[in-house]
Amino acid sequence: MLVQALIKPNTYFDSVSLMSLSTKANQIDGVEQAIIAMGTEMNKEVMKNVGLLTPEVEAAGTSDLIIVVKAETDELCETAFSKINDLFTKKDSGKKGKSDVKYSTISAAAENNQDANLAIIAVNGAYAAREARKALENDLHVMMFSDNVSIEDEIQLKNLAHEKGLLMMGPDCGTAIIGNTALCFANAVRKGNIGIVAASGTGSQEVSVRIHEFGGGISQLIGTGGRDMKEEVGGIMMLDGIQALEDDEETKVIVLVSKPPASSVEEKVLAKIKLCKKPVVVWFVGGDEEKITAAGAHFAKMSKEAALKAVLLAGADESKLNKRALNIPLIEEVRTKLTAEQKYIRGLFSGGTLADEAMHAAMEKFDNVYSNIQRNPEFRLKDRYTSQEHTFIDFGDDEYTQGKPHPMIDPSTRLERFIQEAKDPSVGVIVMDFVLGYGAHEDPVGAFLPAIIEAKQQAEQEGRHLEIIGYVLGTELDPQDYDEQINKLLAADVTHASSMQNAGLLAREFVVKGE
Amino acid sequence: MSFVRNILSGDVDFNKRLNGSNFTGFVHSAFKRTFNIQCFDSGELYTIACRSIDNAPNTLIVDTENTSQWNIEVNDRVFVEDKILYISNKLALNISQAITWESLLPPYPSNEEILLHNVRWAREYIDCQGKGGGIKKCSKPLNPFEAETCKMLEQRTKSLLNNLAMNRIDLAIKHAVSLVGLGPGLTPSGDDFLTGLFTTLHMEHSPLYEHRSFCEKVTKKAKSFTNDISYSALEQASIGKVRESIISFVNSLLIENEDDLILSLNKVLDIGSSSGTDLALGLVCGLEANIKAGGKPC
Repeated sequence: MLVQALIKPNTYFDSVSLMSLSTKANQIDGVEQAIIAMGTEMNKEVMKNVGLLTPEVEAAGTSDLIIVVKAETDELCETAFSKINDLFTKKDSGKKGKSDVKYSTISAAAENNQDANLAIIAVNGAYAAREARKALENDLHVMMFSDNVSIEDEIQLKNLAHEKGLLMMGPDCGTAIIGNTALCFANAVRKGNIGIVAASGTGSQEVSVRIHEFGGGISQLIGTGGRDMKEEVGGIMMLDGIQALEDDEETKVIVLVSKPPASSVEEKVLAKIKLCKKPVVVWFVGGDEEKITAAGAHFAKMSKEAALKAVLLAGADESKLNKRALNIPLIEEVRTKLTAEQKYIRGLFSGGTLADEAMHAAMEKFDNVYSNIQRNPEFRLKDRYTSQEHTFIDFGDDEYTQGKPHPMIDPSTRLERFIQEAKDPSVGVIVMDFVLGYGAHEDPVGAFLPAIIEAKQQAEQEGRHLEIIGYVLGTELDPQDYDEQINKLLAADVTHASSMQNAGLLAREFVVKGE
Repeated sequence: MSFVRNILSGDVDFNKRLNGSNFTGFVHSAFKRTFNIQCFDSGELYTIACRSIDNAPNTLIVDTENTSQWNIEVNDRVFVEDKILYISNKLALNISQAITWESLLPPYPSNEEILLHNVRWAREYIDCQGKGGGIKKCSKPLNPFEAETCKMLEQRTKSLLNNLAMNRIDLAIKHAVSLVGLGPGLTPSGDDFLTGLFTTLHMEHSPLYEHRSFCEKVTKKAKSFTNDISYSALEQASIGKVRESIISFVNSLLIENEDDLILSLNKVLDIGSSSGTDLALGLVCGLEANIKAGGKPC
């Protein structure tokens, strides 16, 4: 490995530029390490400690700028210096648009952007409530991406928003589509006349992409944050969201999405539905059909069913829809491939509601379904690193994301677990989601592909068939290439499920024989 | 002459210097929002900054968005005539209407209760919102150089604070000097940390006020250890003169107003790349040392 240095005598760049140049220099292909720093004695000492001190660096003065590159060959070093020089030249050439304006406070931002009517809060949870309050006081709707906000603050903020006729989406709200603009982790879907209020991020993403696939479109997607349906919060945002969609002229049909709500909240929501003049489809994971239909709503047991009912209520012609029925011959085929020992499903999900939906499908046929999100404590995973019988894991849950980005951005934790599960001879099926859309990983399937291929080969060498089901949550309009993601799965001999509902049902049906 | 601009405000000493004698010098360095002038006589650095920058020692604030539009270049001649500061034939700055600003630190409070609470709060806030890579450790260092820099900064700041707390001033000076010039950026992290620390030793009535000569001793020993621009700020801080945003932050640490505290701390954190975080941590560490020296646990 070669170390080469370039000295720029008496050269000063402001700290922000130096840091930015340094980061970019370290990303140049072939560069193992690049340093851009002032030539002080102490910085030279650091360079000596890490083996980067050259005679040129040693001779540099405190006002000289030092550029050091560590790379395999002379040629790579030269190329890197040339690219770094280009970076210095380009430093001031970029024009800044209005979007680059940075404000220190919500009030300043509101004052200078009189047309703005919504603030996205994504600061550390300890300060998020204060900022959200300021936004509401400035008559801005709020989408709060931040989590770790106290429930007392959440209630106060939601009450304040309610009094002012504003939306308070969140805390921990990751998905919304407002006025045809996708916010945070939303998918690119067609504009239409179906409005969604959801206490579940990936649940609402799933319903919105299914509606898109059935030819429908979304008027608004209002997120409430996962705790809104808890008894303490009382569904304030869910109720306000329903009202907002009832008042919205673009919206003709309303879809509600949530994990199982507290019964007192469910009652309030159902009472609200009774008074609503627009048709309402309700998909509460594990929801009670009788209660929901008694309130005059349309009950959906699963996500695809919710989307289908919504598009039909919005006027779609059922005879022209491809409902993507389950592939029964495939179920038969896979059952014959799995040995008697391969009894279990392992569901590894980046989306919480996706995990929940697949888990509920399995719970209909099996009574040994474990998860980190099981509501029954008896079936909670005892050790989050070890699966038990049928196991479904939501890798987006706090216990798996401490100090790490969400699995929709960083697949590493889930990938490690996949490798572990694939080696287990009692596993028949591994089912996974790959979420596309704004903010999500640019190539989620690609990140898993080498591990999938290796796992399949390993299983084959051991004389067993490892069935992997992959579901790509996305649309052809998403920033990632939707078709390419599916083709990658198919090329690796992964069963591609056309919806989360189908993925959950296929996983269950594949292993039924072994039970 | 291409451009004429008014000076909005200026440091009291710099104003006196410009009004009192024939000031001549040259442009030492130029950036997008500031340029520095070096005085021929004293070798001291002075700064001309645009209005988005806060007041600071040896600094004049000009009524403009940025200073790069004037094509100011290193070595351009600088001189004063009839209360006009000329930068070559490119720019004339009218200093007659400038509001004078003076760097004045508040005295240390007699009751430390609010200070103690605010300092704890500020440390937590900086842990969350501050920028890593300097005094604050980076969770993912860019490369081994950055990791080693952070390690050395941590060891040396710890040694400095320990010795200061134990009144071993000679050793404290040695460790402080070992921080000068250490770290990334135009003003290395070690310098920024010391600027913050020096500030707290100059608060009148502070428990460590009697040791304030420590600051000047450090800067005297460290003159050749860092670049001119960073040294200039360090030298001013060693006599208790710091920029307006730092003074505002110190003031808000003394009162019970969380809004004010967040605003003023954010302004400090926004300085440079990691400089603001390094400065703020120097201030917090200095205040913690004062509180300890005053007999209250931190």
